Formats: sequence, C-alpha cells, structure tokens
Amino acid sequence: MLALLAAVALTAAAPGGLPFQTKTTTLKNGLTVVRVPFASPGLLAWYSVVRVGSRNEVEAGHTGFAHFFEHIMFKGTKAYPEGASDAVLGKLGFAGNAYTTDDVTVYHAAGPSSGLEQLIEIEADRFKNLEYGEATFQTEAKAVLGEYNKNAANPLLKIEETMLATAFKSHTYRHTTLGFLDDIKEMPSRYEYSKQFFKRWYTPDNVMIFVVGDFDEKKLMAAIEKHYGSWAGSAATVEIPKEGAQAAARTASLTWGSPTLPRHLVYWKVPAGTFTGTDTAVQLVVNEYVAGKTSPLYKSLVLEKQLVEAVEPDYGVHRDPYLFGVFTVLKEEGNRAQVDAAVLAAVKELSTGTVDAARLKSIQDHLRYEMIMQLETPDAIANALSRTAGILGSPDALDAIMRKIAAVKPADVQAYARKHLVDENRTTLVFEAPPAGGAR
Amino acid sequence: MTPFDSAAARLRSGLAVVGLLLVACKSAPAPRPETDSTTADAGTVAVAASSMPDPAVKPASPVPARPLATTTPMQVVKLATPRPIVSLRLAFRAGSIDDPPGKEGLTALTTRLLVEGGTKTYSSAQLLDVLYPLAGEIDASTDKELSVISGRVHKDKLDAFLKVFTEVLLDPRFDEKELERLKTAALNSIKNRLRSENDEALGKVTLDALLYAGHPYGHYVGGTVKGLTSITMADVKAHWKNVMTQDRLIIGLAGPVDVKLENAVKAAAKKLPEKGVAAVTLPPAPGPLGQTLIVKKDTASTAGSFGFTYSLRRGDPDFFAVALALSYLGEHRQMHGVLFTELREKRGLNYGTYAYAEHFEQEGWSSISRVNIPRSTQESTLWLRPVEPQNAMFATRGAVHYLSELLKAPPPADKLDTARGFLIGYTRIWEQTDPRRLGWLIDDLLYGTPGHLEKYRAALAKLTPEEVQAAAARHLDVANLNFVFVTKDAEGLAQAVKARMPSPITYPSPKAPDVLETDKVIAEVPLPTPSTQVRVIDAATVMEQ
Repeated sequence: MLALLAAVALTAAAPGGLPFQTKTTTLKNGLTVVRVPFASPGLLAWYSVVRVGSRNEVEAGHTGFAHFFEHIMFKGTKAYPEGASDAVLGKLGFAGNAYTTDDVTVYHAAGPSSGLEQLIEIEADRFKNLEYGEATFQTEAKAVLGEYNKNAANPLLKIEETMLATAFKSHTYRHTTLGFLDDIKEMPSRYEYSKQFFKRWYTPDNVMIFVVGDFDEKKLMAAIEKHYGSWAGSAATVEIPKEGAQAAARTASLTWGSPTLPRHLVYWKVPAGTFTGTDTAVQLVVNEYVAGKTSPLYKSLVLEKQLVEAVEPDYGVHRDPYLFGVFTVLKEEGNRAQVDAAVLAAVKELSTGTVDAARLKSIQDHLRYEMIMQLETPDAIANALSRTAGILGSPDALDAIMRKIAAVKPADVQAYARKHLVDENRTTLVFEAPPAGGAR
Repeated sequence: MTPFDSAAARLRSGLAVVGLLLVACKSAPAPRPETDSTTADAGTVAVAASSMPDPAVKPASPVPARPLATTTPMQVVKLATPRPIVSLRLAFRAGSIDDPPGKEGLTALTTRLLVEGGTKTYSSAQLLDVLYPLAGEIDASTDKELSVISGRVHKDKLDAFLKVFTEVLLDPRFDEKELERLKTAALNSIKNRLRSENDEALGKVTLDALLYAGHPYGHYVGGTVKGLTSITMADVKAHWKNVMTQDRLIIGLAGPVDVKLENAVKAAAKKLPEKGVAAVTLPPAPGPLGQTLIVKKDTASTAGSFGFTYSLRRGDPDFFAVALALSYLGEHRQMHGVLFTELREKRGLNYGTYAYAEHFEQEGWSSISRVNIPRSTQESTLWLRPVEPQNAMFATRGAVHYLSELLKAPPPADKLDTARGFLIGYTRIWEQTDPRRLGWLIDDLLYGTPGHLEKYRAALAKLTPEEVQAAAARHLDVANLNFVFVTKDAEGLAQAVKARMPSPITYPSPKAPDVLETDKVIAEVPLPTPSTQVRVIDAATVMEQ
C-alpha cells in the first residue's frame, strides 16, 4: 500500500519548535495526510482542513458561501443520508463539528481510536460523494440567515463588518466570513452554484488531514488509501483582488442602540502570514509587546488609570495582508481621546524608542511555554496544526513560526513597526453606545 | 467564570482573528448551522381553536439538602502522570452560599482579588510580569459550594512558580485600587454582559433564581448589583480569613508530582488559618413546580430554560440511567439527541435544544462541562436555544412533548445504543487533561463516588431501554417543569401561556408527513403552568439585589 504514496517527510522536533514529531505523506491524488503520535491512550483527533474560506468569495453576490457550504457538508450522501453519519459516529463515541474562517474550512472529530476506520470511511464518503436536494439546501440557507440574525444581536458582528469594510476596498477580506446580509438572503437561489463550489474547492489537492493521538500507523494509512485513494479532481484557481496601498489613515464610527460599553479600535494593515519569512513571527511578538498583559499600555489603561475594562492585541495569521490592532473596551465614552492617544503612543514608541531586549526575551519565553501548555490534547494539537497549515499551505508552518519567534531580535521588531505600523496604514473605529447599563 | 464574564473570549468571538496560540478558540464564525424558521405560507396544520383546561396550582415540593461528603483538613488528592506540566488545584469548600446576606458576590470577588490583585511582594502589574515568562497560570473559579485556586506551569519553571503561587495564597496585597477595578468589572458583567449581551445566560441565571428563591443558591455566583456595591476591603479581608481555611481545603496535585512538591504545598497551606466560620447548613431547596417567569428584554428571539430541582444526585442507584436517558434526549451541543434531531434538524426551530441530569456549565469553548461545580442539591433542566418569538410556544411544547415521550415508553433500542456508545467514548474526553482528571478526583471525593466515570461506562454498557425509561419516570415529571423565557414581547408570551390555546406552526419549506402529524400533537401539548403562575420581570432587575 505504501508504494502508492508519492512522498513521505519526517519533521523532527527542534529547539524552539513544537514538542512533538509530525509525519507527512502526500497521496498521488494530492491529498496531504499528517500524523502526530501522541500519548492519549485510546483516543485521537481527526481534522480535515479545506483551503477555502471567505477569501475565495470573489464573485459578486456570493459572499458567505464558504461558511454556508460548511453547513451543507453535513447534509449526507447516498450511503449515509442526512443524520445517518451523525448516528453512526455518535454511537462510536465521536464528537465532531466544523468551522469556517477567512482562509480555511475545518472539519473535526475527536473520539476513540477503535472507531477510526469507520470514521475514515464516513469522512471520505462525504468529501467524495456529497449529495443533497434543493429543498434541503434551501432550508439550510434559511438556517444561515438565522445564524446571522442571532449573531447580529451582539455588537461585535457590526463592529467587525464596519472595520473590514473601512480597511479593505478591493480584497475579499472586506466582508466577514458570514457574508453580506443581502447575499445571505439570496442563498436559497444558489443551488446550482453550490454544486460548482463543491467541485471547485473540495478536491484532494486542496485538503489536508491531520490525525493526532493514539493510532496504528499502518492501519491508518491503509484505510486512508482505501477510502480516499479514488478521490479525484484538482482545485480551481481564482484571482483574489489585490488591496491597493492605503494613502491615509481612515476612521469609521458606529453607534449602538442599546446600553453597553463603548469600544475603541485602532488597527493597521500588516503583511500576509508567512512561515518562510519572519513577518508572522515578529507580528506575534508585537501583539504582546504593544498590548499584552505585561505591556505598559495594559498596565496604564487597565490597572493604573482604569480607563478601560479590557485591552487586547487583535491579530490572526492570514493568507493575504490583513490587520493587527488594539481592541479596547472603554469604561466610559469620556475616556476615548485619552485611550486613543495612549495606543498611538505605544505603537510610536516601538518605531522611535528602544525595543527592550529583556521584555522581548520574556515574550519569547512566554510564547514558547504557552504553546507547550496549550497543546495538551490531540484535539488542541490537531486544531493548531491544521488551521495554520491550511492558512499558510504547509503542515510545517506552525513549527517554523515557533522557531522563528525564538530568533526575533529587537531590531526586527523596530524595523517591522517602522515599515507597517504607520499612519497611512491605520484604520480607527469609534463604537459608541448609550451608557445606561454601565457601572461607571 | 461564565462565558459572559470573559473579556478575552468576548473580544475574540467578535473578530475572527484568532492567533496561532489561541488554539482552543473556534469562535470565529459560528461552528455549525444555526437554523431559522422564518414563517412562510407552507403547510399550516389545522387544529381545534379551543383552550386547554387550566391545571390546579401545585404546591411547592421542597427538596431536602444532602450535604456533600466530609473531607479531612488539607486532604491531598494526587495524580502522577507523565506530562511535563504541573497542575495544582486548591479546592476550598467555600462558594457563593458563603456570601453573607447583603454581600452577594463576596466569595467570587475575594478569589478574583487573590489571583489578580497582587501580593505583599508583587503589585498586580508585577504579578503579571513575574508569571509571564514562565507562562505560569494562576486562576480562580467559584461556584455555589466550591472555590478553586488553580495553577499550571511547565516543570522547568516549577520552583519560581511555586514561590509566586504560595504568595498569592498566603500574602495577598489587598490593594484598594484593584478591589475597585475588579468590583467594577463584576458589576459590568451583570449590568452589561448578563442583562444585555447574552440572552441564554440570562435565562439560565434566572431559572436558578426561580428554582432557589430564598435559598443560598438563589443569587448569581458573580453576585448582585446591590451586594457587590456594598462590598468593602474589610469584608474581603474578613471573608478570606473566614472561608479560605485549612479545614475547608482539598489539595489537588497532578503531573510530574513528587513528595517534595506535596510537602511544599502542604507547608504553605499550613500557614492558612486552621478554621474560620462554620460551614453553611443548607436548607431544603424550595422546589417550585409549574411556574413561568418571563424576562422582558429588547431582543430579536426568545430563549428558554426549563427545569426543576430534585433529589437525584451522582452516587444514587438511578443516576446513571437518568443521565443516559437525558443524554439520549439531548446531550449538550451534540447532533444525535432526540431534541436536536426533532426540533432543529427536522423542523429548523433553533440552533439546538438539550437536556441535563445535573447542573451543567460549559467549559470555555468546548462542549463539555466544567469540573468542580459540586452541589448538594441538583436540578434537571432543558435548554431551548433562541427561537423566533412566534414559535416560542410551539418549540416549548415540542421540548415538553419529547421529554414526555421518554417517560411513557422505553426509547428505541438503536437510538439508545447511539447515546450509550457516544457516552462510552465521550466520557473519556471529559477526563482527558490533568486538570480535569484532578477535578474529577475532587468531585468524586465530595460526592462519595470513587471512580464515577469508570462506573458510568460500565453501567452504560448494560442499561436496557426499559431500565432507562423506568428510572427516568421515577425522577422526572413534565408536570414539575418551571419555565423561564427571555423575550421582547413578554406580555404577549405571558398571555399565550395563560390562554392555553393550541399553537400550530408553519414552515418555509416542505416537511415530511410524519413530522406534520406529530406537529398536530405538539401544538396541543398542555404546559403545566396554571394561568395564575405566570410572571413577567424586566431584564434590568435581574440580580439587582
């Protein structure tokens, strides 16, 4: 069986990298399979990451489709009609679900190693043979609208929509993963398009599988070959509109109807995620340096002056240039100007002052040990690996970034800030709300 | 901490930008479908438009408290594992039941101040600084009867960490400014989060308040606005000495633990006061039956939490059978439960509906329950996730209908097999990490149920549909259900509950004939609330005092 495999690579754990070994195989049809043996007797996690997200939604009127399609993937096949696979996998003891982001769609299950072969059969079946009728499709489209409406009750959806629409003018990152409301309303009429979408993106060369935990390597690979080997097709390519350079700082404002705490967001455009270059590693350090819990900004705004309830760095690795920012929850509207000035000063200090080498070292230690401490279960490991791999296109991405974090120098941080955290890359969002519910 | 308390979680859930390091957070865009049931014109079911009889008011049925097991002062629970991470859980038998009257929220605020407010050596900012390069975690969680100060660190950093952890426990700074900050945050978590941003949590807290009115369980663990406002530093200092004492402490250690670590933690704990105030003797839970309480709030949908207190608890002969019965009916956020399948998958009424044999609080973003929320008195509940307001009566009746079916006849063997198979695997996820395994050991000590999960799995393998139904029927009764709703048109819903008219439903897409047939039955399911037992309150008053 192994003769059919096109390539095998072994990544060894290295200083600064991840504390476990991964083994990667690419099948002839392009499907990448990553295994991580981990001491979790009798248990494992199974993650399938598809390199499609709201970033791929280039056609007018079709925003939100990647997320909608994630729902459709639970609608069954001939062999396992809707609900049948839930029952079979449930009986085996698997708990599964899925989520969609800007760049990837991730399907996951965790449960007993004894059910692995059946899990593989059922997962392969839906990726190869998904089948659903138009009525089912339409019911689910309504469900997505319901999801939008539920999320809209929380101010954060509107905040995200406004920030993205202000910062991005061309790139598909200008809409959220849920999509524009008008497009969601049109979803029931997109049945034919949905079949195209499946063909375009649900192909073996666009999917990576991560298996973490307790499994028999030989049996696992044989079962994968048996059930996924016949899967054919290759991913489409689409032109993602490039975001032009921003010429000047932008500001947007948003007012909420009911009482809650005001928020203030100051964000910058930052480079695309990378595991071969240093940008992502530096940005992860910058997050902590500017607005982490040991930053002067946090200490001043949260602990000393108590102007805000929370301040957090906000950044996620993305396939294309995205945003880094400082998200604050103000205790009252009157604190806004002072908080804005403090955030700008903290970022300016990075470009013009001295980067504190001791703080940098402390951040590097923190990130390293935090990572080790978080990767305590097969599920956590598979999630971290698959998400990063899906975004950046390599199962080794997370390990590489962790090693690069350990090598970041003060000068790297300063150079990065000078280049990217500049006025013309900035977008500010002023979120106001009536104060009646506030406790000072 | 409940979800609406966590600023970090809130921020992350808002912006789908979870960094590399936040591996557990799948918040970004919602996980799985959220169904919606926009009313359209297809297939209205004709039903007789006549009112159902008003049931007699059921007198409350108080549930006597059964104290949790006694433990010896500083009893040690140890779990040596091959992991490189050391986990500490110092569990004090103190919780919101120990909040003095008028000082609701004091226990939670005291533990929060301990772990965030600094020590004699370190200010709050310095505490963050010293823990940061160790990636050392010190946290606190408080429930009704137990508060846990937890710590976690890589074994490479244990010595440095232990020094800080010990100071947090023994030498708190009691900084006025920190108290002010944390008190404000606690008040905001009620005034802004609970009342304004999370209808589902609001429903659950209100159901707690309804089931335990006048009982020490009645107030939210995070406190009340009046209680929190009145808390002073003198209160905190006194409370710390009164309840964080040797006689109330259980010491939990897991990971690469040895005698040296055990001795170090014990030596530190010996510096705590031996004793403080006497433990609270819990009165019987009031045991209301058939009440409906509607929380009025400007919101687009209607959230529901239903349930009753009962005497069943872990360790009782019927517990496993009832737990299996309710998991079959609706295991928390799983797709194979009856309620999920019937109300969401077939009818598209909401995101999901679930059933519980004991108090449940979701741990973070996972779908499993927190450990170390042991309670002398338990409740069985149903959680109806938000539905469109016009479908609230139908969806509620649907949940009652399927519970009622479970009590009438043994569940189909194949479906029960799915539930049992799932639990045999899933319960292993419940004890997958060291902190959780330690948590289970502590819970087993308190409930007097050593090896609870192993015994559960063994029982699951054997229970028959008849046994499951018979046990469920012994302990559950739809006539005992109390109902809490959070909705905009509270008066309208109150009228609907009182009017006792059938509530037919319409769907935007075709439905199977058997679904429509069952709908006729559901539309006429009587709710157990007498028309005189329906009340409306404003969200702004919840946990005010």
